[in-house]
Amino acid sequence: MTAVVDETLFASYDPVALRGSACSQCQAHVFPAQATCPMCAGVSVVEVSLPTVGTVWSWTVQRFAPKSPFRTDEFAPFAIGYVDLGPVIVEGWLLDSTAWSIGDAVELALAPAWTDADGVVVHTYGFRARA
Amino acid sequence: MSNEVYIVGAARTVFGRFEGEDHDLAEEAVRGALADAGISWGEVDVAVGGTNGETKPDNLVSRLGLTGLPFITVRNGCATGGVALLTARNMLTGGNDIACVVGYDNHARGAFNASPARYGIGEWYGQTGMMVTTSYFALKARRYLHEHGISDRTLGLVSQKAFAYGQAHPKAWRRTPVSVDEAMQSDPINDPLTRFMFCAPDAGGVALVLARGPRAFDLCDKPVRLAAVELRGRRPGSFEVFSPWLSPGVRTSPSIDAAAAAFAAAGVTPADVQVAQLQDTDSGAEIIHLGETGLCTDQEAAYARGDFEIDGRLPINTDGGCLANGEPVGASGLRQVYEVVTQLQGRAEGKQVPGTPRVGFTHVYGAPGISACTVLTTTA
Repeated sequence: MTAVVDETLFASYDPVALRGSACSQCQAHVFPAQATCPMCAGVSVVEVSLPTVGTVWSWTVQRFAPKSPFRTDEFAPFAIGYVDLGPVIVEGWLLDSTAWSIGDAVELALAPAWTDADGVVVHTYGFRARA
Repeated sequence: MSNEVYIVGAARTVFGRFEGEDHDLAEEAVRGALADAGISWGEVDVAVGGTNGETKPDNLVSRLGLTGLPFITVRNGCATGGVALLTARNMLTGGNDIACVVGYDNHARGAFNASPARYGIGEWYGQTGMMVTTSYFALKARRYLHEHGISDRTLGLVSQKAFAYGQAHPKAWRRTPVSVDEAMQSDPINDPLTRFMFCAPDAGGVALVLARGPRAFDLCDKPVRLAAVELRGRRPGSFEVFSPWLSPGVRTSPSIDAAAAAFAAAGVTPADVQVAQLQDTDSGAEIIHLGETGLCTDQEAAYARGDFEIDGRLPINTDGGCLANGEPVGASGLRQVYEVVTQLQGRAEGKQVPGTPRVGFTHVYGAPGISACTVLTTTA
């Protein structure tokens, strides 16, 4: 069992996939999943597993440690970005590098976020460069 | 003319760090605006106050006088000042001829710290370090510059301009000039934005006195007409702070909608504007908002030409904007109006736009995706 920051974010862990929702009326995709569609105000939505590969849409580096409730074992600057997955653009960590370009090909991955009081490593999702 | 609304009094405090009570800032601004209009608190028919802090604007009556007037409180993030002004304008009906609007805040140091729950977002978003306003500004600027072929150096030009205006304004907070190279080479906060490309939360208060129709000309030699004030929210396709997801496709913005509505209501076009204030929470935001309001669509060349300097085509943020004044959230939108009013009246405290500008524009923008724009005009 993988410990994660919030189980409702994930459709599966192996292989890892994010859980979103799709509107039955206008097909808009949303992440995290929600019970209504903010795009067309529809109330008929279904949960979907989002695409796991995409391209960097924008990116930055978080150079200072955010205030609470941010959690980390030891702060180091990290990259975050928006990744275009096709039906939806998702915000998340960009892993293993702080130098990115818009258009870089990436894929979804789990990444360690912090270690909890019981020594369990809690994971979040991120995107890493595709080989 | 009897239903037209004018600004007949305006005052602001010095912005910066402040040790007193929040209400001290508000009271100083209100008393200043009343004096500027030459009226007493007892002559005010309705009041509106905005703050993002914990104090209650409507309890300013305990300092100003228990006249029984209706006092509305608004709280709409960075757009609070614009919303307060809109609310006051709308209350000037029936027997109400004079309104007082006040905005103030006294923020703690450092970036704003927003609670995920307050925005209806899961705790994970904050725990993983994404609930950060400055990273949003950087992500939005990076994408806009990419889509519009604008260089990172233009971000430095925005900062240089802002601090040069701030240096000349006695009530601005940051009054030390910064060169383009200094701005580019200062500490990165969220790439591509550096320390000198962000405004910081601080303290300040601003108040305006509005009057309807003929009363305005009794009270003021050169009243400034509030030709339009329009507020809009986000539609599908906008890119707002604290968004774990965005929709692909056409980008919209509440700023585009609010600006278009304000120009339509006032019967003027962006090309008519001679002095303007745009939300410049960061250097990228000013570039984006020039485009979204329709004031300028070739930003890279325009900054290089000096279009937005005091003697340029369209002076922008002539008091130094948020970059040089900081952002006391409740006061910031009214500071913009204060600056444009004093420019149109030819009594700007910092650099004065030469000639006799007659059409001004202001724009605020904030979480969770709202914008308020005004058009301000004078006659001969």
